[in-house]
Amino acid sequence: MAYIRKRNRRIFLIFLLPAILVLFLTTIYPMIYAGYLSFRSYDLAKLFVPRVFVGWANYREILSSSEFLHSLVVTFKLMAMTLSVQLVLGVGIALLVVQKLPGMPLARTLLMIPMMISPVIVGLVWLFLYFPELGYLNYFLSLAGIDAIPWISSTNWALWAIAIADIWQWTPFVMMGTAAALQSLSPEPYEAAMIDGNSRWDVFTRVTLPQLKPVLVSLMFLRAIDAFKIYDIIFVLTKGGPGDSTEVLSMFIYRQSFTFWRMGVGAAASFVSLVIIVVLITLFFKSLNRDQTA
Amino acid sequence: MSAITLHNVVKKYGAVQVVHGVDLDIAEGEFVVLLGPSGCGKTTTLRMVAGLEDVSGGTLSIGGQVVNDVAPKDRGVAMVFQNYALYPHMSVRQNMEFALRPMKLGKAEMDRRIAQTAGILGLDALLERRPAQLSGGQRQRVAMGRAMVRTPKVFLFDEPLSNLDAKLRTQVRWEIGKLHQRLGTTVLYVTHDQVEAMTLADKIVIMRDGHVEQVGTPEEVYAAPKSTFVATFIGSPSMNMIETRATGGRLVADGLSIPVPTRFGDRVKDGQEVTLGIRPIEIQRVAENAPGAMAARVEVTEYLGNEALLDLRVGSHDLMAEVPADQRAAPGETVHVRLNETALHLFDTRSGRSLAQ
Amino acid sequence: MTFARTIALSGALAAGIAGAASAEKQFEGVELKMLAIGDTSVTRLAPIVGEFEEMTGAKVQIDMFPYPGLIDKIVIEASANNPSYQLMWVDSPWVGVLGESGALEDLTDWVKRDAEEIHLDDIIPIQLQENTWQGRLLAFPASGMIWHVNYRKDLFENPDEMAAFKEKYGYDLAPAQTWDQFIDIAEFFTRKAGDTLAGKTLEKDFYGNAQAYSRVAGAITHDFFPIMRSFGGQYWDDETGLCAIDREPGVKAAEVMKELVAYNPPDYLGLMWDIRTGYMERGEVAQSGYWSVRTVRLTNPEEAVLPTIGEAGYAASPTGDGNPADTMTGALSFGINSKASDREKEAAWAFIKWGTSRDMMRRFAEAGSGVSQFHKSILSDPDLQQKYPYYKVLLETQDRAQRRIFHPFYADVEEIFGVELNKYMAGETASAQEALTNGCTKINTRLKVFPLDMRQRWIADVPAAIFD
Repeated sequence: MAYIRKRNRRIFLIFLLPAILVLFLTTIYPMIYAGYLSFRSYDLAKLFVPRVFVGWANYREILSSSEFLHSLVVTFKLMAMTLSVQLVLGVGIALLVVQKLPGMPLARTLLMIPMMISPVIVGLVWLFLYFPELGYLNYFLSLAGIDAIPWISSTNWALWAIAIADIWQWTPFVMMGTAAALQSLSPEPYEAAMIDGNSRWDVFTRVTLPQLKPVLVSLMFLRAIDAFKIYDIIFVLTKGGPGDSTEVLSMFIYRQSFTFWRMGVGAAASFVSLVIIVVLITLFFKSLNRDQTA
Repeated sequence: MSAITLHNVVKKYGAVQVVHGVDLDIAEGEFVVLLGPSGCGKTTTLRMVAGLEDVSGGTLSIGGQVVNDVAPKDRGVAMVFQNYALYPHMSVRQNMEFALRPMKLGKAEMDRRIAQTAGILGLDALLERRPAQLSGGQRQRVAMGRAMVRTPKVFLFDEPLSNLDAKLRTQVRWEIGKLHQRLGTTVLYVTHDQVEAMTLADKIVIMRDGHVEQVGTPEEVYAAPKSTFVATFIGSPSMNMIETRATGGRLVADGLSIPVPTRFGDRVKDGQEVTLGIRPIEIQRVAENAPGAMAARVEVTEYLGNEALLDLRVGSHDLMAEVPADQRAAPGETVHVRLNETALHLFDTRSGRSLAQ
Repeated sequence: MTFARTIALSGALAAGIAGAASAEKQFEGVELKMLAIGDTSVTRLAPIVGEFEEMTGAKVQIDMFPYPGLIDKIVIEASANNPSYQLMWVDSPWVGVLGESGALEDLTDWVKRDAEEIHLDDIIPIQLQENTWQGRLLAFPASGMIWHVNYRKDLFENPDEMAAFKEKYGYDLAPAQTWDQFIDIAEFFTRKAGDTLAGKTLEKDFYGNAQAYSRVAGAITHDFFPIMRSFGGQYWDDETGLCAIDREPGVKAAEVMKELVAYNPPDYLGLMWDIRTGYMERGEVAQSGYWSVRTVRLTNPEEAVLPTIGEAGYAASPTGDGNPADTMTGALSFGINSKASDREKEAAWAFIKWGTSRDMMRRFAEAGSGVSQFHKSILSDPDLQQKYPYYKVLLETQDRAQRRIFHPFYADVEEIFGVELNKYMAGETASAQEALTNGCTKINTRLKVFPLDMRQRWIADVPAAIFD
């Protein structure tokens, strides 16, 4: 028996090996290498720039750079904009689609399409909608007699333009998660509340929402991490502009690494952002634990 | 005045009719049990009374007022659900407070009612706990408490004990009975368990396939079942049924011939197919030469302590007899038994209806 | 079988016809791949590379990408040990970073060797100088540009508009000599829907000007630097080799662009090169300064609306004081990857000679192609000047011309000033001075780590050794 178990473990390891190898090659090794790079001066384009160890200089530069801090602010601003709207819309639509009404299963499927589209394509789709002068959105606005809005070419609108595209793509995710949670709620407390005469608002705020809370918190958490890493849509729509109004953290990292070719600074910025995400995750699980023990 | 009246109440889902014209009168303070197998329409009937289902036809009145189109909250009923239907994220106290919320009572009155209810149900120590921290029996008491605090005119119970284990079920059943005696509120109670019905009900309504089979006190439905369905559904072990043919004043079947008891008068026609019903306890062991004695072979013996159940073979018929434990016999033995003539139930086999007056 | 025979027959035929040519199929088996832009300097050539293949036996594959991001691909390609591209499309400002990194093959000796074959004397010298690094020629022009002004000739010559302009500004309406005039003209022609323009009621808004204000790929700098140059500005301080963009000419240029905002379309902050030229091509603006690679479209009704509703006029860039100043040139060129094999390099040079030859350029010109010409004989050809009136501007302005930026840190300059200028135009930075100083500070931080002699070498425009 012991022999078989030992052999099984070996087989188990053999089956696991490819996955471990892939993980190592695609995640762990690049991460270690990025860590190494973050302490070096490494210009990919300018081969004449010396590639040397620079200590914490890259980190010092980032943390004292107003551009980096600005990009953090923009990132959190965008996060607040998208998450709040996605939460309200996602829950709202979920409440609608779980109703036993004709067409709802179809509506649910259709609503999930944006989520399945690659963010770059989403960016391109919205580029056509937002395009200055020739965009569909302004065309429809003009039919309604509304003046054209410089969606992606105004510092007032651009972040909203990004947010709208992100909201369009990811509200279905919140909707789907919420709908699944709603359907797992036992119907009987609702019948009890109906008989007891509790108002719809009371039932929603005091029965439904508190029960959805763990799911909503998780959904928001996942969205927050994604929002923190948002890149494709911005790259396609504004590349961080106009001005620096949509310059999020990932655009900052991109520009350092692939416009200025300062891979060391880019790597250091990536690590700083990793730390921020880890802190976010820790706080999240702490708050979740507190919730459950309360 | 009746607390609840159903007159020809019908429920349809599209083209499918599941409740066919139920008539029922429930008096003030009465404990009425809707009893029947699953799918008989009892729960649907209860949910119509609660207002959770629309009434498709007929009239439903509560307290003399037709409530067909009255919202559930305005019917003055409170319901206890099979799965307790407690709010999982709220404490016991919050569960009760939430039920009281629409009544807009003052804080003091609310606290008073909760304290009182908790006192009656023994929930004082559990008020700050959440449902997940309670046992099944405790949860059921909380569900009842949540219904009670509202002091409704009518309590509706939907199979409240079916999620409890056997021992707890007996205890909570006893508590429900005691509670009803104490509060005196009208109760409509749905169950498929005839023991619950027999022990709790002032009046049992036996339903089958959306029809009411019989309405009566526990004694009535036990002693005078109006149909073979009621006869077999009530009582445990259930009543023996033997299909016979009336032939020259006797009921004849394979290995069996019994004179038609005189109290059935001329309602038994010669040649009629008659189902003969006899409860196991009414089959007695007698001496071989006693009048009416029939030979029977013992197939199985079940020893229950005070009494024993004997699975008997009489001709081609299986009969169950319940005898004092000291009269039991070993499988394979041949014994002699007699059916208690005064306890015979006769039914018309075709219609299933009782031939008693 | 018939098919195979046909092939064999046509092969024999071709060999027979080519005769001596078959002996010249010297690059049989060589495969050339080109990393290129999807713009006119390449798109016209790509469909006919078969001719080159037929002639030399080499195989040519051209991969085309949009301008933004192309330099990234080239840089990655240049830093790879085993390159997959032997030919690279080069915008002249990239020559510094590619040259200093040794990514491009030195073409100087080849150019000298084949001077006659490539009609070296006929090429405008500054277009060659554009492609040099430290005196060595690293790429060969395939399209030579200047930055100049396009305007609505039909509107400028409309009597009503002329009279109204004269009345309002006190001088005659004509292509602007100074930037103040340029701003006047922009203001004058900015009209709302419903207003009258040249006697017709406008259905939609009409703008006095369209410039590139977008920060994407540093687009705004591509208009800003020529304007800065027209004020006499320079990129670098000769003494220190550090940023000089924040000096008076730069500030004035930024302020001109800021003033023009009011007369630009409302989405000005998003105006990329092609969006900006689109306004001009659709005839929706009165004037627009841009690089001559797209000017040809204004003469072609298939590529632009303007020729069908009006007429384009062409002028040199205005200057700060109205007196002639050096104009700014640029070259879109072909270079050879220094890591290619010798045989590949030979084949690549043959391809460059073929694709940029005077005959090819004339063929493009006659076919109405958008390649911006760089041979004197073509630009001065009376028939072609008739067909493409802007040739005259192209030719004349290059008598006084300076090359564009060629510093190894060009990408940093383009990106940093793209953002800083865009922020200023968006109103996020209070003054032009502040915006430009911010930009210079960032650039200088990166440059100061290098020794002075290196910084000075990087800004030195050593005359190309081909002119010896």
